[in-house]
Amino acid sequence: MKRFDPTAGNDMHLGFQIAPMIDVVFVIMLFFMVMAGAVKVERELNTKLPGTAETSGPTEFVDEIIINISETGEVTLNDEPMDAPADKQLPQLRGTLLRLKQASDAAKAPTLVTVISEPEAKYARTIDVLDALAVAQIENVTFTVGEEE
Amino acid sequence: MAGSAGGGDGEPEFQIAPMIDVLLVLLIFFMSITTAQVLKVDKSIELPISANALKKDSQRAEAIVNVKWDGAKKKAAYTMDDRAFADLAELGKALAAAKKTGEAKIAKGPNPTFRCVIRGDRDATALSVSRAMNTAAEAGISDISFSAVNRD
Repeated sequence: MKRFDPTAGNDMHLGFQIAPMIDVVFVIMLFFMVMAGAVKVERELNTKLPGTAETSGPTEFVDEIIINISETGEVTLNDEPMDAPADKQLPQLRGTLLRLKQASDAAKAPTLVTVISEPEAKYARTIDVLDALAVAQIENVTFTVGEEE
Repeated sequence: MAGSAGGGDGEPEFQIAPMIDVLLVLLIFFMSITTAQVLKVDKSIELPISANALKKDSQRAEAIVNVKWDGAKKKAAYTMDDRAFADLAELGKALAAAKKTGEAKIAKGPNPTFRCVIRGDRDATALSVSRAMNTAAEAGISDISFSAVNRD
């Protein structure tokens, strides 16, 4: 039987193999390409807290939209019930907000929205409502909790 | 000319070196975007989902308040810059100090206002998040942003 002799292989050339390297690079690249599509990205929903403003002239009052969120997840817009509590997409609320935004834009008036949540309501439900407001591109949004414990 | 196209003599060869260059550039690009985005997500807080939220503006001067929710105790824990705050008054002081240092950056940069980013757990109550918001308001910050993730 012929034994393996590491010193005997003078004629054997162990050169740099390009084909397996390209294979590996392709596989790694495919992995990162797939990962880039499925990656979780942190985003933001902006609100402004109400404050005081000094004015010298008369101030124009605008209609304020009030969205209430109950502990059970029920959402009401100006006391009118919207979507089911389990519905995260809130299609009815989205549609109504889009129409209100269009009407405000046509009247050249700002759209002011106040989101009032019950203290023990889930924060995730507030984010669902803020997401619907983001769809309607309403920027003057204030979030508050109805009644403190 | 020797290098001109359309030479009928030689067969066009497949050039391996530029292909490897391009492959490596693409690989580095995908590696960098994947890792940079994953690093921003803090695993200890399960953020709520908002598919339509805005892209995070990393250029702005901000203070980040984390609201962790303990489901067993039904209690929220507030942290800022890896420091836990049992007392919200202490958090208010830290926010006011952060605002003071942040406003110095605003004067130099294009950021309009200093803001507070609240990273609240999706299981937290509205009240616990509202307390963090009120603390920011007491510290003089009126620009509040809520963090959310684009997918589950």
